[in-house]
Amino acid sequence: MSGGTVRSLGKGSAPPGPVPEGLIRVYSMRFCPFAKRTLLVLRAKGIRHEVININLKNKPEWFFKKNPSGLVPVLETSLGQLICESAITCEYLDEAYPGKKLLPGDPYEKACQKMVFESFSKVPSLMVGFLGKQNKEDCSGLKEELHKEFSKLEEVLTDKKTTFFGGNSLSMIDYLIWPWFERLEALELNECVDHTPTLKLWMAAMKKDPTVSSLLTDVKTFQGFFNLYLQNSPEACDYGL
Amino acid sequence: MSDDATRTLGKGSTPPGPVPEGVIRLYSMRFCPYAHRTRLVLRAKGIRHEVININLRNKPEWYFTKHPFGQIPVLENSKCQLIYESVIACEYLDDAYPGRKLYPYDPYERARQKMLLELFYKILGYQNTVFFGGDCISMIDYLFWPWFERLEVYGIADCVNHTPTLRLWIAAMKQDPTVCSLLTDKNTFLGFLNLYFQNNPGAFDYGLSC
Repeated sequence: MSGGTVRSLGKGSAPPGPVPEGLIRVYSMRFCPFAKRTLLVLRAKGIRHEVININLKNKPEWFFKKNPSGLVPVLETSLGQLICESAITCEYLDEAYPGKKLLPGDPYEKACQKMVFESFSKVPSLMVGFLGKQNKEDCSGLKEELHKEFSKLEEVLTDKKTTFFGGNSLSMIDYLIWPWFERLEALELNECVDHTPTLKLWMAAMKKDPTVSSLLTDVKTFQGFFNLYLQNSPEACDYGL
Repeated sequence: MSDDATRTLGKGSTPPGPVPEGVIRLYSMRFCPYAHRTRLVLRAKGIRHEVININLRNKPEWYFTKHPFGQIPVLENSKCQLIYESVIACEYLDDAYPGRKLYPYDPYERARQKMLLELFYKILGYQNTVFFGGDCISMIDYLFWPWFERLEVYGIADCVNHTPTLRLWIAAMKQDPTVCSLLTDKNTFLGFLNLYFQNNPGAFDYGLSC
C-alpha cells in the first residue's frame, strides 16, 4: 500500500485490471519526485489507494494507454478516468476527496500558493543537472543558479513570517516542493541551503511531519538508485527491494 | 469601444492610486494574448474592473512594485493584493467572484481542462526550430496553420515577450508560397463571419463577384 515495496512492471508485463471501487490507483516510481507529490497527498488525506510502480527504464507497452507521454504519476479511478501531471493529480485529490483541505479555501491564499509554485518551477530541471556530476568543477554555475532559486523561496518565507509556505501548518505547496529538498543530501547539495536559514528550518519542520517522515527515502537508497539510473539499468527503479 | 482602449503608461508616469472598493484593477496591454485571457474572464463573469495598460517597451518604474519583472497581466484588488500569471489570475477571478463558474464543478472535469492547457503549452514548447517539424515547413505546420490564420485576423501579432517563437513561426508561414496563395484577407473573413452568425445562407459566397 505504501508503494515502498512493490516491484515495478516493465515491458511484457500484463496490464493491470480495472481499479476496484472505493480505491484510486496511482502509477508511480519509488524514486520519482513528481510521483512523490501525489503519494504525499494521498497519504496526507488518508485516501485509500493502490500503487503500481512502473519501470521507467523499460516501460510496459500498456502504460502508454494510461499516459501517451509515458510519464508518472498517473491517477486512475474506478470509473477508468485518468489524470496526469503531478500538480493536477494533487489538486484533483484535494477537490475530489473529503477531509482536510490542503489548498486554502480563500481565493487569494490559493492564488498565493500557486504563485509560490511558479517561482519554484526552475528547481526540478536545475537539480537534474547535478545527477552524476562527479567533477565538482562542473557544478559551480549550477550551484549558483540553485542558490538564486532558493533565495526566492527564502524571501517568501521571511515575508510571510510563518514556518510553512502556506502558513503555520503544512499545506499543499509544502508537499509540492518537498521531494526536491528531500534529495538535497543524496546529491551532496546540503550547502545550498546554508545561506537560507528559514528554508533550512522549514526542511527540519517538514521532516517532523508524520506524512513526510513515513515516506522518507534514506540517502544511501537514493544514491544506489541514482547510480543505476545513470547507467540506464532496468534494475534502477527496483533498487533496494 | 472596448473598456481597455486607453493609452499605455510608461516611464515617468505617475503611479496610479489605490484600487477603489468594489472594483478590481487589471494591468494589461491591448495586444497581449495572456492578458487577453484575463480580460475574457472579467468580461464573461461581469466583474467590475478597471484596466491600466502598460507600455511594455518602456515600463514605468512604479510597475516593478506590482510585478518583480514588470510582466502582465497582474490583478490588483482594493486590499492591495496582487495576483500574477494569467492562468492563476483567471482561476482567482473564478473563485473569488459569484455568478457563472467558468471552471466545471466536477473535480475530474476540472482536471481535464488543466491537462488540456498543458497540451497547449507543449505545442508551444515543441517549437525549438522555426517550423514545428524542423527548419522547413512540413505537414504539422500546415495542420496547425488554419487556426492561427484565423487568430491572426484578430491581431495577436504585437505581443512582446511571451511567444516570440510563435510570432516568428507566423511570419515564416506567411512567406510560404502555399500559405500565401491561400490566405484569406481579414475583411473577407470578417464579412463571412458576420453573415454566418446571422444564419444568412449568402455567407458562404461572401466576397465572390457575380
